[in-house]
Amino acid sequence: MKIKKVLNRTVLYFLVLVIIVVTLAPYLWLVISSFSTKIELMSRQIFLIPHTITFANYKDLMSRDFIPAAMNSIIVTSSVVVISVIIGVLAAYAFSRFRFRGKNPLLNLSLFTQMIPPIALIIPMYIIFKRLDLINQRITLIMIYLSLVLPYLIWIMKSYIDVTPKTLEEAAMIDGCSRLKSFFFVVLPMISTGLAATVIFSFIITWNEFFYAFSLTKTLDAKTLPVLIYDFNSKFGANYVMSATAGVLASLPPVLIALLFQKYIITGLAAGAVKE
Amino acid sequence: MASIQLEHVTKQYPGGVTAVDDFNLSIEDREFIILVGPSGCGKSTVLRMIAGLEEITSGEIFIGDRLVNEVAPKDRDIAMVFQNYALYPHMTVYKNMAFSLKLRKTPKAEIDEKVRAAAKILDIEALLDRKPRALSGGQRQRVALGRAMVRNPSAFLLDEPLSNLDAKLRTSMRAEITKLHQQLGTTFVYVTHDQTEAMTMGDRIAVIKDGVIQQIDTPQNLYDHPANLFVGGFIGSPQMNLIDATVKKVADRFFATFGETDVLIPPQVMGADVAASYEGKSIVIGIRPEFISEGGPHSDCDTTIAGDIDLAESMGAEKFIYFVCEGYPCIAKVPGKSGIQTGDHVSLTIDCSKMHIFDKESGLAISH
Repeated sequence: MKIKKVLNRTVLYFLVLVIIVVTLAPYLWLVISSFSTKIELMSRQIFLIPHTITFANYKDLMSRDFIPAAMNSIIVTSSVVVISVIIGVLAAYAFSRFRFRGKNPLLNLSLFTQMIPPIALIIPMYIIFKRLDLINQRITLIMIYLSLVLPYLIWIMKSYIDVTPKTLEEAAMIDGCSRLKSFFFVVLPMISTGLAATVIFSFIITWNEFFYAFSLTKTLDAKTLPVLIYDFNSKFGANYVMSATAGVLASLPPVLIALLFQKYIITGLAAGAVKE
Repeated sequence: MASIQLEHVTKQYPGGVTAVDDFNLSIEDREFIILVGPSGCGKSTVLRMIAGLEEITSGEIFIGDRLVNEVAPKDRDIAMVFQNYALYPHMTVYKNMAFSLKLRKTPKAEIDEKVRAAAKILDIEALLDRKPRALSGGQRQRVALGRAMVRNPSAFLLDEPLSNLDAKLRTSMRAEITKLHQQLGTTFVYVTHDQTEAMTMGDRIAVIKDGVIQQIDTPQNLYDHPANLFVGGFIGSPQMNLIDATVKKVADRFFATFGETDVLIPPQVMGADVAASYEGKSIVIGIRPEFISEGGPHSDCDTTIAGDIDLAESMGAEKFIYFVCEGYPCIAKVPGKSGIQTGDHVSLTIDCSKMHIFDKESGLAISH
């Protein structure tokens, strides 16, 4: 019995280790690459610590359009996150709490939009935005990303609001709240877990999006980080060092956001509200 | 402090379901009124309409002298206690109780004073810093009551507040709520499906079925003089025995006949002229279990029936006897020391002077 237990543990830890290695190894290599010289990186040797650790890549990157592209990414992403959370949560509340004509078709339609592959949409989209003179603008990306993120956000938040007891809002309304106040004082704290999850979700989707950004931006007026990273590998041959360095920096905000919001992802917050 | 009037209130849900139909109820200031009825009878809907949580389809609701049809719940000056407590899970007990006062921008010192005073009455002072999830069911219910109390509202609305508690706690909370009503001197509207709560707590009871009031009266009057079959069957535990019968006249006296059994209808139960008008017609007689006793007739008003005992259920002080009389399942309530056992064949006596008689067709009471 004991041997079996030990064996189970060993196998389990081994598998966990494999998963960690498989997940982290590429990222580790990215970090190592960013501190290596181009010559050493191309030397076909596998190493953990480069012979000459250099910060030159980072310095170099700053002079190579990184800052404007990062600004574009930050502006586009933060706009999308803020707008999508405000619209998404309010829409989810309406879908969850109110009866209105066309509620279910609308809800399903919002998901249906996600079933069309982006590649099928890009040409009509390009034509439309071209006619509207909106190619190579941040607002275009913001609109497109909102359409990507909102349906998921509405569905996820709706399911959170669905399980929030209605009587809590009613109690708040009797206690002196308007519907809006009861939403802010009672519903919002109760769905904070879901809210944190959706903020992380929409941040990551938007921050990492490449296809639309690549197709609809031309210059640094709107170009985002994923496109910039791609550019390193096309314009001047494959510049792996620059890609890696930009990749490391671009990966930091999502990690920070995830760390920042994970403390809100605590389950069991609702326990004790009503008798189950 | 306020009276509540409901005038011709109707609630129709989309799809045509009528939950409450032409409902008229006048609740006096400081009265403790109970709305009682089976599940789905519309009693909670009535309460929620008074609270403003449910729109009314037609009719008028007054709280005090004010028409509140279009008034938001927060402006109706009422407090409500929910069946599932509805405590805010992210707030401590103190904050739960202080919430409404805070929204009304009450000074902090006053909030503190009121919350602590209510907590003292409800004996929850030690719990003020806890979150609802760290409380037991009974404690949560007290907090819910406290949250309602601090506002000093003109009316308390309670929606089955005790139905999630265990039997023992329910009994003690029942007494506490009654005490609270006397202490606060506020109008209480209390919804329940539990007739023990209804009988013990209220000044008056409104019995509701299918969204329609069947009878409003004091608990004792409801018990003694049910207006119809439904009220007769609903109020009282164990339930009143209801038996279909026909009125028969034998030598100036009227009898209710079912199967081989003739039960005398004494004049004090139904006058001769009324009885005569029902001669040969179908009626339903209602006999409360406590008016069926063991042994032979004790007076000439009594009728003896025989039955095989299906089950003798001892409750300690009393015994419930389940038997079948002429095909009708009946219950009798006899003293606990009675020797009747399951399977016995015994003769039992109906005290006919305590009998209720209902019109079979309309269900309305026709006895005095």
